[in-house]
Amino acid sequence: MPGLIGPDEVRATVEAALDLPGADGVEVLFLHEWNGLTRFANSSIHQSTAREDTGIRVRVISEGRVGVASSNDFTKDGARRAAASALEMTEVAAPDLLFPGLAPKAEAPEKPGAFDEATAFSTPEQRAEAVATLAAQPDRDFHAAGAFETSAVEVAVANTEGQFCYAPTTQASLNTVVSGGRSGSGAADAAETGMGDVDAEEIGRRAAAKARDSQDPRELAAGRYEVVLEPPAVGTMASFLAYMGFGGRTIEEGRSPFSGKAGEKVCSEMITISDDALSPLTIGLPFDFEGTPKQKVALIDQGVFRTGVHDRRSAKRARAESTGHALPPPNPEGPFPLNLFLATGDASMEDLIASTTRGLLVSRFHYSNIVHPIETTITGMTRDGTWLIEDGQIKHPVRNFRFTQSILEALSNVELIGRESVIASEFFFAASRVPALKISSFNFSSASDH
Amino acid sequence: VLVLEVVREAVEAARRAGADYADARFVSEESETLTVRNQEMEGIDRSLSQGVGIRVLVNGYWGFAATARTDEAEIDRTGALAVSIARAASRLPMEPVRLAPVQPVTAEWRTPIQEDPFTVPLDEKVSLIMEASRRMQEVDGLAFAEANLDFYRRSTSFVSSEGASIEQTVVNSGGGVEATAISGGDVQRRSFPNSFRGHIRAAGYEHIRSLGLLEEAERVAREAVELLSAKDCPSEKTTLVLDSNQVVLQMHESVGHPLELDRVLGMEEAYAGTSFVRPDDRGKLRYGSDKVTIVADSTLPGGLGTYGFDDEGVPAQRVTLIEDGTFQNFIASRETATVVSSPLAGAMRADGWQNLPLIRMTNINLEPGEGSRAEIIGDTKDGIFMTTNTSWSIDDKRVNFQFGCEAAWRIKDGKLTEMYKNPNYAGITTDFWRSCDAIGGSEEWVVWGTPNCGKGQPGQAARVGHGASPARFRDVQVGVR
Repeated sequence: MPGLIGPDEVRATVEAALDLPGADGVEVLFLHEWNGLTRFANSSIHQSTAREDTGIRVRVISEGRVGVASSNDFTKDGARRAAASALEMTEVAAPDLLFPGLAPKAEAPEKPGAFDEATAFSTPEQRAEAVATLAAQPDRDFHAAGAFETSAVEVAVANTEGQFCYAPTTQASLNTVVSGGRSGSGAADAAETGMGDVDAEEIGRRAAAKARDSQDPRELAAGRYEVVLEPPAVGTMASFLAYMGFGGRTIEEGRSPFSGKAGEKVCSEMITISDDALSPLTIGLPFDFEGTPKQKVALIDQGVFRTGVHDRRSAKRARAESTGHALPPPNPEGPFPLNLFLATGDASMEDLIASTTRGLLVSRFHYSNIVHPIETTITGMTRDGTWLIEDGQIKHPVRNFRFTQSILEALSNVELIGRESVIASEFFFAASRVPALKISSFNFSSASDH
Repeated sequence: VLVLEVVREAVEAARRAGADYADARFVSEESETLTVRNQEMEGIDRSLSQGVGIRVLVNGYWGFAATARTDEAEIDRTGALAVSIARAASRLPMEPVRLAPVQPVTAEWRTPIQEDPFTVPLDEKVSLIMEASRRMQEVDGLAFAEANLDFYRRSTSFVSSEGASIEQTVVNSGGGVEATAISGGDVQRRSFPNSFRGHIRAAGYEHIRSLGLLEEAERVAREAVELLSAKDCPSEKTTLVLDSNQVVLQMHESVGHPLELDRVLGMEEAYAGTSFVRPDDRGKLRYGSDKVTIVADSTLPGGLGTYGFDDEGVPAQRVTLIEDGTFQNFIASRETATVVSSPLAGAMRADGWQNLPLIRMTNINLEPGEGSRAEIIGDTKDGIFMTTNTSWSIDDKRVNFQFGCEAAWRIKDGKLTEMYKNPNYAGITTDFWRSCDAIGGSEEWVVWGTPNCGKGQPGQAARVGHGASPARFRDVQVGVR
């Protein structure tokens, strides 16, 4: 039966891996997750799942060599076997000259309210009821697709330096695309710690309204336009900027657009970006996957790049301290900020639209990817509602565009920032909290047929 | 035998709880990953994950539940949970799911391999990639010399309430080198044999020995450094010759995904999207030029989509998707084949034990034409040759795409001349495939592996294969800014 294993039992089991003769150091990352997901399409529930898994990832250090083994056999024997396998790998590995040592004993801050019992123990019937509420919102000739997921995760990190940290978290995520009519679609979503804060009716209503308003999109020539990006589209830009730029290792190795740019202006002074997993406004763990407590990091402060985030390895190279941003080992990508905040402004959505002479209102982007990492150029498509704005008024929906655009250039051309922010993307414990943006020039490089 | 008993018990538990149909899979996945950068160990990692997934139909509604524990009480609980999930799904009415018939069989299948990669000593593997890294580092100006090996074994025991009992073991081996050059704020990369960790096949360690990682290491490193001083790929409409490793990406995104029948029926709408292709396009839609024939073939030796049976017990199949340029068939499952009468593709696969099977590409192959890559280039007066994927993006109906490659060269009077960096190209799916006027012959045909195809909610990664030769396309927009 799913339920919290709890810190005492976790500690007792991982001790079996920590007690490893022949090792100079051992670290165990423990993950226990159970979730339920109700997936719907064509306004019916077509794929629903539930699963539970418990895994450990053991990193062993012996004579400066490092090996990692993972297993979902969460028993003392399973833990011992994983540790022995990792130790075997150290025997053939070359010495890791940059190995920074394991995280020292340190108290991880509490994050009250991160675990919601109702979400952890939600039932398929509760999720189905929420989906039915959502699916009732669109008009008759429209249909809804999407997924409602409730998940609970226990994470712990223990090592032979005496560090032990443990945190349970929950997450409820509901997303939908409503489509139909003559042609057109709209999307809406929400991600919260507790399912009680996910308003299925409001999400359904919002997506249905967008689907209604995006009927019969007209063809419009590709080119440069003013643009109003709703938070999901801004979330895509924030996530890609983080991926290309904010990792301490990427910066140190000269692969980041911010390499060698600490203290330099990189975008509009209206832009401030930080990472803060401890904020109650985001979904995140209070420590990283090496067991280092998370710190708030100011990444871009009023347009000036300050610093990236670090794990222990990148911190050693940069002669800095870990900021608590390690991913699970072996992790050749280096550290990553999982809880971005793009600071809000004071404009309403109406202000952003009213300020636009001739531009596009974009609901969200789809299937974006990197074109040029140093220029921070990405490409992707608009999706689920794009409109032409003229003289401060929404005129009509337009067909989807491909954009090919430098993120830092776009952030240099910001004119207004929305006063409300939402969690706009989430993946692997990551959640970016961003507002809408009005940007004076954005490159739409080609158009699609719908 | 013990594992088969567990899955039989899982099916029985689901039936006792009220399932009209049930199948269960015990899956054990093992992987070993080694990565070296600049002759330092970046990671050496082994993983094991095993558990049971139970899929049920109750009154025509699906339910699925999975657990890592296999004691009897947990299996009973999971079977009953799958049934309660299916019952909850009936909260919204829909046409009950029907399954196309399949002959239930008792069978075993294994990837044919010559040398078990998990028994090759670790120090031999480490020595190989250390040496590849060393050879790359001999080239002046290189920042990072990375080499990697990846091994994967998946053992599945499948039982259905229709009487199927199937045991399979799939083995994949892969490896590659990647050279990164950095200068003046520019980062350039070359990989061999392919980007994103190399060339992965359903094969044993013999595949690694055949890759030629050491022989090609220096050239790859040299090209990465040369790219730093190359010009950007010019922006123009021109003739484009794609290397087979990029034809693979083109086919994956603009043929494989849009022909998955679940996408066509709207079942993936909220996440990956739908498709521009409709059921009544079969036999009519001119998808490509008459040179273009594309099949879905899970019987092809060596592909990552090669196996004996899919995860709903359908035997491996070869289905023609596009024949001489005309769209013929979708990639269909037992459920979707009854909605839109279609041949079964044997293409339902789940990412591990913990996920519901979905329609996934098997091996989606562009049938070979004639001639070598050199001959296709030799027959091209002016154009661009691109190799090795770096980036991909396509719209939610798979119409408008833009893909990037590591390197390109100008073709002038049948010869490769100036090298270009940051090449990309864009187009509209059917326009692009209709412009295909040359496909290389079987001597250039390579079965590549794509081990990270994403789909579904919760997200699942599939290992799919693609056979392709280099191919030529006319009037393509390259150098998109």
